[in-house]
Amino acid sequence: MSKKIGDVILDLQNISLRFGGVKALTDISFNVKEHEIRAIIGPNGAGKSSMLNVINGVYHPQEGKIFWHGKERKKMEPHMASRQNIARTFQNIALFKGMTVLDNIMTGRITKMKSNFIEHALWFGRARNEELEHRKKVEEVIDFLEIQHIRKTPVGRLPYGLQKRVELARALAAEPSMLLLDEPMAGMNVEEKQDMCRFILDVNDQYGTTIVLIEHDMGVVMDISDRVVVLDYGKKIGDGVPDEVKNNEDVIKAYLGAGH
Amino acid sequence: MLYREAGQFKTNYAADQQVFPIRQDRIGIIVLLAVAFLGVPMFASAYWFSAILIPFLIFALAALGLNILTGYAGQLSLGSAAFMAVGAYAAYNFQLRIEGIPIIVSFICGGLTAAGVGILFGLPSLRIKGFYLAVATLAAQFFIVWCLTKFPWLSNNSSSGVISTQQLIIFGHELTTPVEKYLLVLSIVVVMAMAAKNLVRSSTGRAWMAVRDMDVAASVIGIKLMPTKLLAFAISSFYCGVAGALYAFCYLGSVEPDGFSLDMSFRILFMIIIGGVGSIMGSFLGAAFILLLPIFLDVALPFFAELFGLPFSSATVSHIQILVFGALIMFFLIVEPHGLARLWQIAKEKLRLWPFPH
Ligand SMILES: Nc1ncnc2c1ncn2[C@@H]1O[C@H](COP(=O)(O)OP(=O)(O)OP(=O)(O)O)[C@@H](O)[C@H]1O
Ligand SMILES: [Mg+2]
Repeated sequence: MSKKIGDVILDLQNISLRFGGVKALTDISFNVKEHEIRAIIGPNGAGKSSMLNVINGVYHPQEGKIFWHGKERKKMEPHMASRQNIARTFQNIALFKGMTVLDNIMTGRITKMKSNFIEHALWFGRARNEELEHRKKVEEVIDFLEIQHIRKTPVGRLPYGLQKRVELARALAAEPSMLLLDEPMAGMNVEEKQDMCRFILDVNDQYGTTIVLIEHDMGVVMDISDRVVVLDYGKKIGDGVPDEVKNNEDVIKAYLGAGH
Repeated sequence: MLYREAGQFKTNYAADQQVFPIRQDRIGIIVLLAVAFLGVPMFASAYWFSAILIPFLIFALAALGLNILTGYAGQLSLGSAAFMAVGAYAAYNFQLRIEGIPIIVSFICGGLTAAGVGILFGLPSLRIKGFYLAVATLAAQFFIVWCLTKFPWLSNNSSSGVISTQQLIIFGHELTTPVEKYLLVLSIVVVMAMAAKNLVRSSTGRAWMAVRDMDVAASVIGIKLMPTKLLAFAISSFYCGVAGALYAFCYLGSVEPDGFSLDMSFRILFMIIIGGVGSIMGSFLGAAFILLLPIFLDVALPFFAELFGLPFSSATVSHIQILVFGALIMFFLIVEPHGLARLWQIAKEKLRLWPFPH
C-alpha cells in the first residue's frame, strides 16, 4: 500500500446494543484509522448496519465507549454526526424522492450554510452568494461522480444504480472526513460495481477520506479494503488485513454455515 | 419554437438558479403581472373584484400557506381556517388597541400572532405524523374558534364574537372601492408568493422537503428536525394569518368566529390537492378552480337543464356541485397527486417537443 494510514481516529470499546430481547451487538471492540478503508462484513442480520448506526448516533448502545479523535464521545443525536464530519449512505437508499438530483446533493451542504430563512425569503446578499458558492462545490462532486446528465432529474425517476451514486454524491458534498457506506454496491451489475469501486478508491485517494464500508461481495472487500472486521450474530469473530481474515477458521465457518 | 429552452444556454450558475430559467416563463410572468395590475383594473366590474378576484387572491394565499406546511414540509394540517381566524382577530385587535398603527403593520402582526399560535399547535408534530397529526391540528381548529367565541375581549365585547373591521387607510388615503382593495390584496399576495418561491428554492425549502421525504436521512445530514418542522408551522401560519386578516378587512368587512369553520379548512386543503401539493403555482390554480367551479356550475347546470327540458331546483345544483367536487378530489388523489400544476408542467414538456413528438 502506497498511501499513508494515520492514527486511530475512531475507537469503539465493548459496544453492546439491544433491541428489547434482541442482542444486535455484543461486546464489540474495534477501531478505524485515519485515511483507511475499513470493511465490516458478516452474514445477514449480523449487526453490520447497527454498527454504522451506532457510529453516527442513530442508535445508542447500552454499553461501551466511543472515542472520536481520542476524546470520549457523549450520547450523540444523529444531526451531530454531520458536524463531526461523518457522512453516510444507507442500505435501502434514503434519498429525498421528491427532489431533483441537484437539490438532493445540495442538502449535503446544508450544515455549512449560514444564512437564515429571512435572507432566503428575500434572496439577497448572503443567501444568494451562499447558494452560488455551494453550487460550485456540488458541481465538483457531480463531475467527480460523472452524473452531470441527470442533474435536474427527480431522483425517483432514476434507476437503482444511479440512485446509489447520487446518494454517495450527497454524502460527499458534505466533504466528510469519515464516510460510512452501507452496502453501496448491493444490487448492482458488474459494470456498475466496478464504477463504484473506482469512486470509493478515488475518494479515499484524492481527499484522504476515511471509509467504513459494509459489503457482501467478498471479491470487492478483499480488493479494496485495508482492514476487515467480521461480525456474526452480533459478535466480532475476526479482525485484520484481508489475507488474515480470509484464512480465519471462525470466519470460514460462519460463512459456510450461512450458506455463502 | 414557441416554448423552448433550446439555444438558451446557461453559462454560469447564477443564471441557472434564476426563479424562471426559461425565457418564455419570465415573459409570461411579467405579462401576467402587467395584466393583473394594469389590465384587470381597467376592465373588471365591481362584482368581479368583490365576488371573485379578491376572494381568489386571499384563498390562494391561504392555500400557499398550507402548501408550505403540507406540500413542502410534509406535515398534514386541518387547521388552516383557524389560523386565518387568528390573523383576522389579531389584526383587528392591533388596530383597535394601538393608537395610529398602520394597517399593514396590523396585518403583519396578525400574521406573526398566527405564526406563534401555529408553532404551539405544531409541537405535536415532533412526536406524531400523518393522520395523527391531522387530528391534532383538528383540535387547533375547534379550540381556536371556541376561544374566539368564549372570550369577549377578543372581539371587543361584541355579541357572538362578530367583528367589524376598521377602515383601510394607507398613507392617509382610505381604500373604499373594490378596485383599490383588489390592488392592495394583489400587492401583498405577489410579494408573499415571491418570498415563498425564494424560500422553497433555498436551503430552508430543501430542509423542509428533506424532512418530508425521509426524516432519518435528513437528520443524519445534519438537519435538526424540530426547528425545521416548527419553522414550517410558523411560516405557514403566518401566510394563513395574513390571508385571514385580508379576508376580514378587504373581503367581508365583518366576520364571526364560526365563519372560519372546519369546512373552510377542508376547502383550502382541497385547493392544494387539486392545484398541486408542493407547488406555489398549484396553490393559485387550486384556489381558482375551487372558487370558480361552483360559479361555473351555477350558470352551466340550469342552462343544460333547460336545454334538455329537465326539472332543476337549486338544491339539485348544490348536490351536483358536491358530487363533482368529490369526484375531482378522488381523481386527483388517485390519478394525479401533483394536481393541476403537474398537468400544466406535462403540457409544457409536450410543448417543448412540439411539433416533433420525440
Ligand atoms: N431498529 C431496530 N429495532 C429492532 N431490531 C433491530 C433494529 N435494527 C436492527 N435490529 C435487529 O438487529 C439485528 C442486526 O441487524 P442489522 O440490520 O444490523 O444486520 P446487518 O448485519 O446489517 O444485516 P443485513 O446484511 O441483512 O443488512 C437483526 O436481528 C435486526 O433484526
Ligand atoms: Mg444491513
